Amino acid sequence: MKIIVLGAGQVGTSVAENLVTENNDITVVDIDTTRLQELQDRLDIRTVAGSASHPDTLRQAGAEDADMILAVTNSDEANMTACQVAYTLFHTPTKIARIRAAEYLSHPEIFAQDAIPVDVIISPEEIVAGYIERLIEFPSALQVLDFAGGLVELVAIKAYYGGPMVGHELSELTGHLRGIDSRVAAIYRGDRPILPEGSTVIEADDEVFFIAAKQHIGAVMRELRKLDQPVKRVMLAGGGNIGRRLAAALEERNYLTKLIEADAARARRVAAELNKTIVLLGNAADEELLQKEGIEDTDTFCAVTNDDEANILSAMLAKRLGARKVMSLIKSPAYVDLVQSGANIDIAISPQQATIGSLLAHVRRGDVVAVHSLRRGAAEAIEAVAHGDASSSRVVGRAIQDIKLPPGTTIGALVRDKNVIICHHDTVIHSNDHVILFLVDKRHIPEVERLFQVDFKFV
Amino acid sequence: MRLHDILTPRRIAIRLRVSSKKRLLEEICTLLAHDPTSAVDSATAFQSLLERERLGTTAIGHGVALPHGRLKGLQTAIGAFATLAEEIDCDAADGKPIKLVFALLVPEDASEEHLQLLAQLATIFNDRELCDQLSRAVSQDAAYRLLVSQRGAAERKVS
Repeated sequence: MKIIVLGAGQVGTSVAENLVTENNDITVVDIDTTRLQELQDRLDIRTVAGSASHPDTLRQAGAEDADMILAVTNSDEANMTACQVAYTLFHTPTKIARIRAAEYLSHPEIFAQDAIPVDVIISPEEIVAGYIERLIEFPSALQVLDFAGGLVELVAIKAYYGGPMVGHELSELTGHLRGIDSRVAAIYRGDRPILPEGSTVIEADDEVFFIAAKQHIGAVMRELRKLDQPVKRVMLAGGGNIGRRLAAALEERNYLTKLIEADAARARRVAAELNKTIVLLGNAADEELLQKEGIEDTDTFCAVTNDDEANILSAMLAKRLGARKVMSLIKSPAYVDLVQSGANIDIAISPQQATIGSLLAHVRRGDVVAVHSLRRGAAEAIEAVAHGDASSSRVVGRAIQDIKLPPGTTIGALVRDKNVIICHHDTVIHSNDHVILFLVDKRHIPEVERLFQVDFKFV
Repeated sequence: MRLHDILTPRRIAIRLRVSSKKRLLEEICTLLAHDPTSAVDSATAFQSLLERERLGTTAIGHGVALPHGRLKGLQTAIGAFATLAEEIDCDAADGKPIKLVFALLVPEDASEEHLQLLAQLATIFNDRELCDQLSRAVSQDAAYRLLVSQRGAAERKVS
């Protein structure tokens, strides 16, 4: 695919890094030539210096040939204008824009073909806040990912020594839940993926990915793992775009939330905006403040400032002072590795990895509606829609066992007319089914894409 | 439905110069919209071809693509043909870039007859010798004659 990325900031850079490895033709546009040079030294991409929304810049970046334009500059307005220009002058097929301001987001009708022609709006802060919100809701999970608009969820949990999962075959585990079906999509032992079969025995410290209908997630987790106490008290560090959204969402779910913000003006603004959250002015790595505000009774501490080091330090401190579970937002991939291998932080959240999936969904061939990048980008979970009939499709009209899946790929569930069906070897796929697949090795994605593409005869 | 019912020499382009699949689809839609009596809007046609292409490539191999789509308000099927000056990558299963393109738009409630039409186009374009001749055609009329006369041959082969 020919893709133009507008803006070489955090989002633009991480998108370029991710997409360039997948045989895409990437051009990055930014005003800052030093930043472009730095990118070009590292990645096999083309760069163009200039204003993102100017017709000449877009033409120079290859807009006439581009299949997709990804407007992720820091300015909502520049992103919207760029999409408008691309639509009018170049008929660009897919136009994606990053929009931050809630003022725009609350009026989706302005993003229409005859108004501001943006096909897909992404809001990274919203995605990250939603991601963290689900982790707070399911404290036993390492990851909770939505498919089919939230009807189905893929959940990662860790098996621990002496827990109910360990030492049992998979077939025993999920067999005796009456009326509740779920499927283990993958198991990771250390860094090694294990393809789950009925006879697979789970060991301590295995990371287990299972898939189930949203309303069954709690029941399945209870079966697999002694549940952590539900979360009541949450402490957030950072009142920026993510912290604010997260606090607002937590208020609606009646958590008792405290939010620490170091900047006085911002703290005042956030306090005015939120109703039930207690907003505190101060430094989240201040031991005295944390203790005074009851860190030892906090169920979840989550550091979401814009500063990796501050997030890591305050989360480590919170853990040592007795917070039950601590999470930290970490942008730098090197820090993510470091924290996961040693630091006493329960969950490191990489904003790039949480957001990249929403873009990958539009890059994948075939009718792919959702993508989640997993295991630091090595694995992927995909929701693809099957089209056609037995003659024009390679999946429709076939039972799972008769579909030639690439190695390391499992079909976990499908959604048919809003009904969640957990897949077994004899489940037959129909046209328009939303099929959820797990790939332990994303190098097999092209094969999955081909599998779901219809034959040329399909009209 | 016969090939001369859906194609006219004016909806043929010889040695079309495009630099990408996107441009190719855009240009072929301009051709499809060329005839004022057909009432095809090139932007809507482009959208239709793109949507179909997203579900799976319409390249049939050995350098031929048959992009197609349904179009609201269209009364009867309409086609356009182009030979390309330079080959374009279109994600074909055999990996070969495209040099011949036949685009087909059918009414929204496409019938069995239209599915047959597509199958017949595939049969016609599976004839490597004809493809070679078409690639060498120097005028719209020459390409038109080759295609229309081939229509009869394909029909004989089928029956």
